[in-house]
Amino acid sequence: MKKGIRFYIALWGAKAGSVLLKILRRNATFFPGKFALKVCPDFIKKIDKPKTIVAVTGTNGKTTVCNMIEDVLKDNNYVFIDNKYGSNIDAGVATTLIGGATIMGKAKKDLAVLEVDERSSPKIYPYLTPTYLVCTNLFRDSMMRNAHTEFISGLLTKYIPKDTTLILNGDDLIASNIAPSNKRIYFGIDKLDTDGETCENISRDIVVCPKCNTKLVYDYVRYNHIGKAHCPKCDFSSPEKDYLVTNLDLENKKMTLKSGNREEVYDLISDNIINIYNILTTIVVLKQIGLNSNQINESLKKQKIVDTRYSEENVNNIKIITHLSKGMNPIACSRVFDYVRKYKGNKAVILFLDDLHEAANGSENTAWQYDTDYEFLNNESIKQVIIAGARYLDGYVRLLIAGVDKEKIVHKRDELTAIDSLKLDGIDTVFILHDLYAMELKEAAKHKVENIIKSRGE
Amino acid sequence: MKIEILFPEVCNLFGDMFNMKYLKMCLPDAEFIETALDDVPTFSKEDVNLIYLAPMTEKTQEKVIERLLPYKDRIEELIEKGVVFLFTGNALEVLGKYIENEDGSKIEAVGIFDVYSKRNMMNRHNSYLIGKYEDIEIVGFKSQFTMMYGDNSNSYFVEVEKGIGINKESKFEGIQKNNFIGTYILGPILILNPLFTKKLINKMGAEAAIALEEETMTAYEARLKELRKLPIEK
Repeated sequence: MKKGIRFYIALWGAKAGSVLLKILRRNATFFPGKFALKVCPDFIKKIDKPKTIVAVTGTNGKTTVCNMIEDVLKDNNYVFIDNKYGSNIDAGVATTLIGGATIMGKAKKDLAVLEVDERSSPKIYPYLTPTYLVCTNLFRDSMMRNAHTEFISGLLTKYIPKDTTLILNGDDLIASNIAPSNKRIYFGIDKLDTDGETCENISRDIVVCPKCNTKLVYDYVRYNHIGKAHCPKCDFSSPEKDYLVTNLDLENKKMTLKSGNREEVYDLISDNIINIYNILTTIVVLKQIGLNSNQINESLKKQKIVDTRYSEENVNNIKIITHLSKGMNPIACSRVFDYVRKYKGNKAVILFLDDLHEAANGSENTAWQYDTDYEFLNNESIKQVIIAGARYLDGYVRLLIAGVDKEKIVHKRDELTAIDSLKLDGIDTVFILHDLYAMELKEAAKHKVENIIKSRGE
Repeated sequence: MKIEILFPEVCNLFGDMFNMKYLKMCLPDAEFIETALDDVPTFSKEDVNLIYLAPMTEKTQEKVIERLLPYKDRIEELIEKGVVFLFTGNALEVLGKYIENEDGSKIEAVGIFDVYSKRNMMNRHNSYLIGKYEDIEIVGFKSQFTMMYGDNSNSYFVEVEKGIGINKESKFEGIQKNNFIGTYILGPILILNPLFTKKLINKMGAEAAIALEEETMTAYEARLKELRKLPIEK
């Protein structure tokens, strides 16, 4: 492909800018790509790309899946490029490709692992054909950006290149139906004892058959629209899985994965169903790249979910767990609330779910709170709920509507002051649930809880 | 007291269903009827006190139009009779003349109101709203792919103090005709606006006190103060 002078100006300018930003100790993970795309709008098309590209998209789990794929690859001495420290929109992808290219725009490495924001599909896939595109799941997300799952799945179907092989969550009836004419590999987890016949979540985005509008029959529901379903009138149903977890042994933290006649046992680094899906997705991707089960498992065993997403520690026999709970993302929060209510022992829960940018510059649209299962916090084992931040009054109303006893709730504007009201009598675990952009607050809150527990013990 | 929720299995985006859950808390003795897409609407056979329709996807809009079209005359009759309707988000569009896609193609709608809407699927509009409804102020949020056009200057829901009306040039938000209220404001509008909820309940012919009045009023007043300080678009 003839690249043209604009391409080289974009490439060299971006590379020079990248060096300058690094000298200035500034983040060079977005602006070089943004500059290149400004100068040469089809830059991503023109730059030489690695032979194998794995793109990971979906509402939840894409960062964790990318991190795990990259860690296993590194552990097995693979060389590749990734956008781990960059953005997952077109500018971030362009920055990653620039970093992975020579001064003449040739790819230096044969493999790329790219996290791709699903909303950015129209700006990326017309120019870049992933070898494999993973879709972890598709749920309600920020309404202001992503509107609804029909819009996002429509974008993916429209823009995913025809030659891309899809790796899809077969337990997700929305994700498993994107780009129906593409070659596809399905993964899933077989029926679990904890699966139910009815959905106890507020939202379920596929209730009627997309082919004939007949109400779907769910054989079992795991959560929201995750599960197994079929249409009683036509041939629409959950797909047969190419990779199926047939045995989930949470006690011994192991799972059995069946593919064809072959069964393999993998270690689990988490007992949270969300992370088990992430581990499963990672394994299936790595097998496509060519790693064997032993290489994958030995590396996966060494990993842990990063502290920014989950951490736990014991202070004087009380556990403190911090858990990412992405605000404005109803399903992510609902999954965490479900995890909290089912966690053993008595709990106190501290909620910092506000979008801090919105809190500083605007007024958050709180509609998402009403797609979120706050009702899960109305549980006998949850003895106290502390809600604080800019939207504390809205959160308080939401908790009351969820049926949480007024006496159990503390609601205050200032986050750290609110923690002063923490009651530890009979509490086994204190959960701090925080938004993605509240890391400093999470750390400060954790230290404060540690100090309260320690001072109590003295 | 009968409240009919239309097509809740598919018209339930953006937390709007909690408008009805909250209303249930306010009117514990009321009967709530959930009408599925395949069901015959209760309003077609008997009078009800409120008909509610929540936001939906674009494909669902087409199904809803198809389902409501046979009842056009009946809906008009109920509006004339003063039955209370609440249509939120893009639900209002199904009762307009048509919905226009970016390529100029049109989806004929039920045609009760002399308005139409235009989609722009790659540009989602998000904004705050403060507006005057009778003697109270309404607060809310908009998040939509469409703008509506047509003259609603004599049939609007709220006069906008801050934010946009049915389109960016309009200061008149939504449509009100007798007790029909349709608005692009979405999400838990009744929880966010306890004063409006009180009026709505009164229009339905009930006198019930609103649930969590103190808590919702405190949140409402704080939001009103906060939104006043902000620019319109998010």
